[in-house]
Amino acid sequence: MSSPFSINGGACVAMVGKDCVAIACDLRLGLQALTVSNNFPKVFQYGDNVFLGLTGLATDVSTVSDLFRYKVNMYRLREERHIAPRTFANLVSSSLYERRFGPYFVSPVVAGLDPTTGAPFICGFDSIGCIDFAKDFIVSGTATEQLFGMCESLWEPDLGPDALFETISQSLLNAVDRDALSGWGAHVYIIEKDKVTKRLLKGRQD
Amino acid sequence: MEVLLGITGKDFTLIAASKAAMRGATILKVSDDKTRQLNKHTLMAFSGEAGDTVQFAEYIQANAQLYSMRNETDLSPSALANFVRGELASSLRSRKPYNVNLLLGGVDPITHKPSLYWLDYLASLAPVPYAAHGYAQYYCLSLLDKHHQPDISLERGMELLRLCADELKRRLPIDFKGLIVKVVTKDGIEVKPFDEDAVVRGT
Amino acid sequence: MSRRYDSRTTIFSPDGRLYQVEYALEAISHAGTAIGILAKDGIVLAAERKVTSKLLEQDTSAEKLYILNDNMICAVAGMTADANILINYARQAAQRYLLTYNEDIPCEQLVRRLCDLKQGYTQHGGLRPFGVSFIYAGWDPQRQFQLYLSNPSGNYGGWKATSSGANHASAQSLLKQDYKEDCTLKEACGMAVKVLSKTMDSTKLSSEKIEFATVGQTKDGKIYHKLWSAEEITALLKEHDLAKDETTEEK
Repeated sequence: MSSPFSINGGACVAMVGKDCVAIACDLRLGLQALTVSNNFPKVFQYGDNVFLGLTGLATDVSTVSDLFRYKVNMYRLREERHIAPRTFANLVSSSLYERRFGPYFVSPVVAGLDPTTGAPFICGFDSIGCIDFAKDFIVSGTATEQLFGMCESLWEPDLGPDALFETISQSLLNAVDRDALSGWGAHVYIIEKDKVTKRLLKGRQD
Repeated sequence: MEVLLGITGKDFTLIAASKAAMRGATILKVSDDKTRQLNKHTLMAFSGEAGDTVQFAEYIQANAQLYSMRNETDLSPSALANFVRGELASSLRSRKPYNVNLLLGGVDPITHKPSLYWLDYLASLAPVPYAAHGYAQYYCLSLLDKHHQPDISLERGMELLRLCADELKRRLPIDFKGLIVKVVTKDGIEVKPFDEDAVVRGT
Repeated sequence: MSRRYDSRTTIFSPDGRLYQVEYALEAISHAGTAIGILAKDGIVLAAERKVTSKLLEQDTSAEKLYILNDNMICAVAGMTADANILINYARQAAQRYLLTYNEDIPCEQLVRRLCDLKQGYTQHGGLRPFGVSFIYAGWDPQRQFQLYLSNPSGNYGGWKATSSGANHASAQSLLKQDYKEDCTLKEACGMAVKVLSKTMDSTKLSSEKIEFATVGQTKDGKIYHKLWSAEEITALLKEHDLAKDETTEEK
C-alpha cells in the first residue's frame, strides 16, 4: 500500500489498431484513499503523433513529463523535425536508466505512428527503462490486472479508428471501476495519419 | 492539527490557515500566520514540520521577490506554483527533504483569472477549485464538494469558509485557535475579518 | 597608434573606445542585410542570403533565420558560426525557463540572457567578442508582439522596424521613410521586400537570395511562427513585381 507506485493511483493503456493507435489515461490524483483532484491527466503529447503515458508517483509523473518536453523540444529545434516514436522510446529508456540507482517511480507507455511508414508503434517500460515492445496493447498503473483482463477480452487485430476508440474506452472505464485508486474521468487519444482526436470521458465520479 | 483551506470564486481566491502554533501537545502561540505573500497577487499557505515550513516559504518568497525586482514584472500564480514544485521535487531527492505541504492561491496579473494550487511534500502539484491540507481534508472537502460553485461571489466564499470552520471546531479534538483568512483579488491581498468567538454547538 | 589598444578586447583606448567591439560591428556590416518590421498583428523578418557559388549545396534549412522558442524567432547578421553557439545557448535558456516555470520565457528576458553572455566577452576572458547581431521577433502575453535588435557589445533595444548587416544605414532610412504606425502584417511583408530590393545589389530578387519569416496570430488566438518556403517567397515577390524574370536567367 505504501509503495511509491500506488500512493497517488492512476491507470494508462495504449492499443494498436489498423493504421492507427490509441492511448488513454484516467484523471485521478489521490493520497492513498483520499481523492485530491479529478483533473490530473497522465498522457502527454510530444510533437505531431508521439504520446507518452505516465502512471506512478504523481511528483515523478510531472517531473518526467516536463523533462521529456525539454529534451524533445531541444531535439526538434536541433534536428528541425519531429521526433519519431521509436527514437523517443529509446530516449525514454536511456533517460530512465540514468537514474538506475534512484529511479523515477513511473511506468511509462509510448504510442505513436512512424512518420515515414505510418506503422503503429506502442511500447511500455519498467521504472528503470527496460522496453517492452508489443503488437497489441500495453497497460500500466494501479489497475493493470483489471486492464489486462479487459484488453485480453475486448481487443482484436486490425480495429479501425472508431472501433478502437470504443475498445480502449470500454477497457479503461470498466477496469478503473474495479480499482479504488484510479478513475474519475479519462482522456482518450486516437492517433491516425495526419489526424489526432482527443476525447474527454466524464466517467463515474464516485 | 494544522488547518489550511483554499477556495476560488468568480474573481478571487480565499486562503485560510489555523492560528495555533503547536509543539507536541502544547500551543505556543494563538496568532500564528502560516501564510507568506509572494508578490502582489500570489499568496502561499504552508504546514508541516516546524522549521522546514517557514524556512522553505521564505526561501520561495525571496526568490519570487528577486524575480520581480530583476524583471520588473511579477510571476503568475501558475509559474510560481511550478517553480515551487520544482524546488520541492529536487528537495525530495536530497539528503534532507523539506517536509512542507502548501496551498498557493492567486489571481493572474494579466487575465485576472483566480487560481489555486495544491502541493504536498512529495511535490505533487494539482490545480484545484478548492483545497485543504491535513485533517481538514477529511472534514471540509466533502462539504465543499457539495456547496462549491466555480462562479461564487466573495460573500458566498466567506460563507463556505464559515461552514468549514464550524465543522472543524465541532470535530477536531484539539482547538486550532481559529483561522486567519486572506483574500487575493486583482487589486492585491487583504486580511478578511473572521469572527472566532462564535460558539459552535457539538452534536 | 591604435595597435596598442586593440589587441585585447578588455582594454579601453585613451579616448574611451573598445576597438575589438568596433571591429566586430564592422565585420557585421559586411554580412547580408537582415531587417525586421513590427506590424499590429505580427512581425516579419527578412534576410539577404549571400549565395557564394552555384556548386554550393542549397541547404534546405534556413541559414539566417532561426527558431529560438515556440514564441520567438531571430534573424542573424554576421558570422554564422558564432551565431550557432549563441542560438544553442538561447534555446537552452528558453527551455530551462519552460522547465522551471511551465511558461514560455518573456521575450525581453531571453534577449537579455543572450546579451549578458555577449557582454561578458567585452569585459573579461581575453577572447574575441561574438561577431553577430540578432534581430528578434517574438510574442508574450505581457507585451504582445515585440521586435529587438542586439549587437556584439551586448546592447539591445526594442524597435518598430530595424535592420542590420550590409547597407543597414540606407535600409534604416528607407524603413523610417516607409513605416506606418499600425500597419498590417501583409503590408509589412510588402515593405520588407521593397526595402531589401533597394539595399541589395540586384534590383530583381529571387527566392534563393532571401529568407523570410513571420510571427503572427491565428484566428483562434494562437501564436505561430513560420519560415517561408521558396514558393511562398516567389509568390510574394511576384505580387510586388520584384521577382527576377525566370526566362532571362543569368550566368
